[in-house]
Amino acid sequence: MISKNLTAASTKPIILGILKQGNSYGYLIIKKIKELSGGKMKYSDGMLYPVLHRLEKDGLIVSKWVMEDDSVRPRKYYEITEAGKQELAQEQAQWSQVNSVLDAIWNVKPSKN
Amino acid sequence: MFDLDIAIEMWLKQLRKHRAFDDGEIREMELHLRDHIDDLMSDGIVAQEAFEQAVSEFGEIPVMAQEEFRTQKRRFSIKSLLFSTMLNNYTKTSLRRLLKHPVSSVINILGIAIAIGICVLVYSFGYWIEKTDQHHENKDNVYLTTAFINRNGKMQQWGISPRPLGEMMKDDFHQIDNICRVKEQNVVIKLEDKVFNEKTTLVDPSYLEMFTFPLEKGYPSSLTDNSSIILSAEMAKKYFGENDPIGEDLLLIVSGEETKLFKVTGVAEEFPSTHAIDFDFLVNYQNSSWAIPNYDQDDWTQTIGATLVQVKDPEDLEVVKAGMEKYKVLQNEAMEDWKVADFKFEPLATLYQNSPDINKTISSRHYKTNKMAHSILTILAIFMLALASVNYINISIATSAKRLKEIALRKTIGANRMMLIFQHLVENILTTVLALVLGMAFGKFILVPWFEYQNGYSSGFHFLDVNLWLYLGAVMLVTALISGLYPSLYISSFQAVNIFRGKIKFGKGNLVTRGLLGFQLILSGILIVCAIMFTQNSVYLQERSWGYQPNSVLHAEVDDFTMYDKLRNKIQQYPNVELVSGGSDHIGVHKSLKVLKKQDKQYEISSIAVDANYLELMGVEVLAGRDFMKSPTADKFSIIVNETFMNQLSLANPIDEEFEIDTAKYTIVGVAKDFHFNSFSSEIEPIIFMLVAEDKYNSLAFKVAKGTEMESLQNLKNEWASLFPETPFRGGLQGDVWGEYFSSLEWHGEFWRMIAYVTVFMAALGLFGLISLNVSGRVKEFSIKKVLGARVSHLGKNIMKDYMWLFTISIILGAPISYYLVEFFFDTVYTYHVPSNFGSVLMSGIILIVVLWTVVSILLVNVAKSNPVNGLKEE
Repeated sequence: MISKNLTAASTKPIILGILKQGNSYGYLIIKKIKELSGGKMKYSDGMLYPVLHRLEKDGLIVSKWVMEDDSVRPRKYYEITEAGKQELAQEQAQWSQVNSVLDAIWNVKPSKN
Repeated sequence: MFDLDIAIEMWLKQLRKHRAFDDGEIREMELHLRDHIDDLMSDGIVAQEAFEQAVSEFGEIPVMAQEEFRTQKRRFSIKSLLFSTMLNNYTKTSLRRLLKHPVSSVINILGIAIAIGICVLVYSFGYWIEKTDQHHENKDNVYLTTAFINRNGKMQQWGISPRPLGEMMKDDFHQIDNICRVKEQNVVIKLEDKVFNEKTTLVDPSYLEMFTFPLEKGYPSSLTDNSSIILSAEMAKKYFGENDPIGEDLLLIVSGEETKLFKVTGVAEEFPSTHAIDFDFLVNYQNSSWAIPNYDQDDWTQTIGATLVQVKDPEDLEVVKAGMEKYKVLQNEAMEDWKVADFKFEPLATLYQNSPDINKTISSRHYKTNKMAHSILTILAIFMLALASVNYINISIATSAKRLKEIALRKTIGANRMMLIFQHLVENILTTVLALVLGMAFGKFILVPWFEYQNGYSSGFHFLDVNLWLYLGAVMLVTALISGLYPSLYISSFQAVNIFRGKIKFGKGNLVTRGLLGFQLILSGILIVCAIMFTQNSVYLQERSWGYQPNSVLHAEVDDFTMYDKLRNKIQQYPNVELVSGGSDHIGVHKSLKVLKKQDKQYEISSIAVDANYLELMGVEVLAGRDFMKSPTADKFSIIVNETFMNQLSLANPIDEEFEIDTAKYTIVGVAKDFHFNSFSSEIEPIIFMLVAEDKYNSLAFKVAKGTEMESLQNLKNEWASLFPETPFRGGLQGDVWGEYFSSLEWHGEFWRMIAYVTVFMAALGLFGLISLNVSGRVKEFSIKKVLGARVSHLGKNIMKDYMWLFTISIILGAPISYYLVEFFFDTVYTYHVPSNFGSVLMSGIILIVVLWTVVSILLVNVAKSNPVNGLKEE
């Protein structure tokens, strides 16, 4: 199980990443995350929304209500903006750096004393 | 049974409660939940379980809300934050406080509401005055020709103009677009068997173009026809009821014999309630040659009611003004006694305002008195607002004693002074808004209708008027600030530490509170004195001697001597008729103007031309000299003058003085005691009595035995009806001549009594609020005193003591102020009035003390009833 703090920290790049693959709405996004993490990332679904709203406020994503032909319900679709894509690239770079640092540390064998 | 929709609704409610999310966001989350439940159910999970699982996976709402708030805090500006949370919080606290202290709140709100109601009245009255005759589209291009005439050494402006002037001006000046001559004519109108005395207006057809009087039926152009008549809406109703009058015939009779049939060709729309110029019937001016015997269009000695000119551009008028000289010459050659010094054109737009200074205008002359009444009402409204504000200030300061801890707490948790002031002002604005709503309703639905009904006008003002809202907004803001600022400054100034330590105790010794209460008492005192004086005054004037004996005298207005003779013969047969007299004039009904010449001096004096019985019949006392002799020829050239005549002309010994009237010499044979020809609203003027030939008779007066007046009036009317079925009755009891004047006096009394009741009521409310707070702050003290055996009367004295001094000082200060102020007020309003008296001042003092005593007694009953144990148990 992934810790709460780490989950919270990674939410932003995950959402942006998902949206980069295509427009989506809240329920679908959360479903995707659960799928990808194989249930390892424990989310309370609701916490997604304040994050989405903040991202929108910061101009990284935009939203619009869409009535799909095959659905009885309207859905609020989010789309990633150019700024969002740049932000995602930065996040990716940062996560990779963190990752490489951790890799470097964990792969060093302890010295014999 | 589990109902999914209800369950979801409950969940949403919880979401909404947090106010973090807007409707769109809530909808988004609802759809999320529904999608999730659908998915779970399609996996075969039952509804309830699916719902519970979805909700649990959705997570804790408070945590989300908090997270969302964090987002919002960055989203909102400082201003929106202030309004969404702070103001909300302040309003809530304020409302809570209002509800927690219902008595104080009701006192505050009621007081301000009454004052605002009076403000609404002031506004509606002002609206009526200012809007009068402003509905005419051409008001800036239409002018009334007025003339300045030197009379007795004074320049007077007159609205009437020489008969030929209009026609000549039209020919002489191409700058003039339109001319309209207006002449009013008394007629009798007959329809089937109904006859009425009416006033018809002879006008040029341009009348309906210059004035904006739209017709409901018919065409304005029909006025070009000499036998057309256009009716006002009121007259159409009077004569034809609901039927269509168009095409109907009306028979007009002038001077009792000349008749002409007119066809109704138009009915005007109802005149706006704000109008001074109007008409009952309009006929073409050409009918003058029919209505006026020996009519001569070019006669410069004759005048008509008005000559109106219309120009395209007001500047064109300059040319016309410059060219008026030749008319002056023509006029002054024709009439030696009526020399025109100058012509002046008065614009229609300001005619109503200016008409108090113009003699005989087609507009009304009430502007000045209305304006004065308006100023008085304005002052009154300010008084009332002041009273209400004082109540408010005193009560808030007194109640603040109870909220000291709240204030201290607010300060401790970080409120600064501004915030406390702000909180207080919000509270204040809330109170004022509530009062505003109440006051508007009170003004619109009670006060204004009552006032308009009593004064016989209708302002037609309505709530959609933008200015009304601006005005009320300003009134409200000023009131809220004035009444709220001081208490909020005061309350917010305390040090929290001192409050908690109990160092600050108050409610008793505040100098400002006392000063304000004193101010309030003085104001109330003045208004009470006013009310008493107005009431005294209407009684006083009703009992004031007219200088003659109007009781038991009846009168009737006749057309000529034949009519007079017929009526006299019938009247004389009644045994209770004591004396009959005739004349061309009659006191209170009609008088003439005569020019008296002595050497090179000229005096214009009112005259009453009658027969030799008249002075005796009317009870006019002859102070010096003698009455007319009862011989038809002996006193043909004698006059009797009144005291004012004697004084104004400085005649030490008037008897046998000679004056020239219409080229004949007249001798003064007697001096009559001054009497009131007009109502008591005008001063007594010089007047002369003279004898008149029978063929000039227009009036019949007779005196009956006391107690038979009503019966005689009925007889008179019956005789009239059988003698002159074609002529409507004009006449009545002499005492009724000024009936309207006295009912207006009565109304003054009524109005001011109402104001005094309201003031006393407000003062009582204020006192009640203040003293009850004082008492409730001293529950412990009173309880201890009671336990130790103090009697209720002693406690009463204890409370009274605090206020008695204040009352005494207020009354000592207020008495002379109200005495002189009210005297000044009465001198301005009335020509003759009840002398100012300290009786009324004393009475108002007593009323105030009775109010104080009553308030204290009511509160004492509560103290007496309460168990001291409860008082001591508190806290």
